[in-house]
Amino acid sequence: MRIKVAGTGLTKFGELWDKSLSDLAFEASLEAINDSRLVSNDIDAVYVANMLSGQTSSQDHLGAVIASSLNIKGAAFRIEGACASGGLALHLAIQSILAGTYKNVLVIGAEKMTDVPQSDISAALMGAGSEEERKAGLTFPALYALMAKAHMAKFGTTRNQLASVSVKNHYHASFNEKAQFPFEISMDKVLTSPMICSPLSLFDASPVTDGASAVVLSSQTRSSASSAYNPPRRWALTPSRCTSQDVFITGSAVATDTIDLAQRSSLVEIAATKKACQKALKQAGVDLKDIKIAEVHDCFTIAEILAMEDLGFCNKGEGGEFIQKGTTRLGGKLPVNTSGGLKACGHPVGATGIKQIIEITHQLQKRAGKRQVNEVNLGLTHNVGGSGATAVVHILQN
Amino acid sequence: MSSPVQIWRNHKNLNKDLNKIGRLIVWTKIHVAPAGFEHQVPYLVGIVDFGDKKMPLQIVDCEETELKENLKVVTVIRKIGKAKSEDVIEYGLKVKPA
Repeated sequence: MRIKVAGTGLTKFGELWDKSLSDLAFEASLEAINDSRLVSNDIDAVYVANMLSGQTSSQDHLGAVIASSLNIKGAAFRIEGACASGGLALHLAIQSILAGTYKNVLVIGAEKMTDVPQSDISAALMGAGSEEERKAGLTFPALYALMAKAHMAKFGTTRNQLASVSVKNHYHASFNEKAQFPFEISMDKVLTSPMICSPLSLFDASPVTDGASAVVLSSQTRSSASSAYNPPRRWALTPSRCTSQDVFITGSAVATDTIDLAQRSSLVEIAATKKACQKALKQAGVDLKDIKIAEVHDCFTIAEILAMEDLGFCNKGEGGEFIQKGTTRLGGKLPVNTSGGLKACGHPVGATGIKQIIEITHQLQKRAGKRQVNEVNLGLTHNVGGSGATAVVHILQN
Repeated sequence: MSSPVQIWRNHKNLNKDLNKIGRLIVWTKIHVAPAGFEHQVPYLVGIVDFGDKKMPLQIVDCEETELKENLKVVTVIRKIGKAKSEDVIEYGLKVKPA
């Protein structure tokens, strides 16, 4: 499988009070379409990733909302899978291209979270959990705090190791002008920040963020199904024109687990991550050891530790030490979350999975600016929904 | 929080898990609550193993210092969150040390 990432578009992430959900989605979409050198008429379908628009913007029917703003008359869909909405939308868009149904698709993730109070957002996000978890007054920070406590008890993972994830990702974000928090923070700052739910404090958590991200995906070569209605002019501009800067998605896999954390066989791993990663690597025909860069789902510091272990970059129980010793920092052997991750770049829920694809694409195209990693040709993205009920892994290559 | 009809439906099943003994696997103290639970902070929530199933439940009638892994706990009926504008009070299961 080779699906071309033909164009990318990304808004600033942050508290964007002067912009609506539609404003953000339009901005990212238009940038992606322009970057692909296509025009709106060339887009066969629009896949919109979003979790909360009905609750935070009183707006549903997002497929049509965004397609019509771009004057696209083709198919349009909204995909919801909590924080993995972006990854799921990409996966579905890819399936439609592989099936030969569509040739050029726009995948757009957008979320507007700062229009409503924090307690309302916390409650709305718990829509991604189970009914039992909501009745217990649990929050997503609390679910990950339970996993952190279990990990600390079983493997001796330390508070400082958790904090080192946050320090690293803020360092990376300091090179990313699109990041919500483009500045460094100290270990002490993380450790002394207000407690959210033990052992996780404010700076262990990804923020509430507005933002949008979009990519245009294209079939690598012309398909007989679509050639009938695409004018010849397009072929000179679109997927068949391959250069060394071209980036392709070569693996895309989704796995699921129980919606309720308590029902999992283990609290110290996200099994769906393991399954999705193995499937994606197999599909791409590559070994994990060849991955040079990754964007992983660090909604909380413990989540990046679990991701390192469950993706297979280090042994189970050693994720904290693996990150603390600098392996995944810029300049290290495997830079992880060069965008700043969810923690420091921000986490506009539906946009996150697509932003991860954009970061790896820019790294492979050598257009990542001050955070450019040398000699990268193979990257991985990892997007999680809920406390691990959904995991999506993509493999990208030059 | 739940609507009056959801509350009515859920209350019908409360008896079956009442007074059950379980063991505390892991817990956390929540300082920042979702809407409807703000008045309770800080509060304790854990995962309890009842043998036949595991459940996430609030832990009441104790301090965090009393908690330890494998602590024996028992289910009790308590008020869940704050009543909404319909004034229907929702009850549900929580656990306390047995």
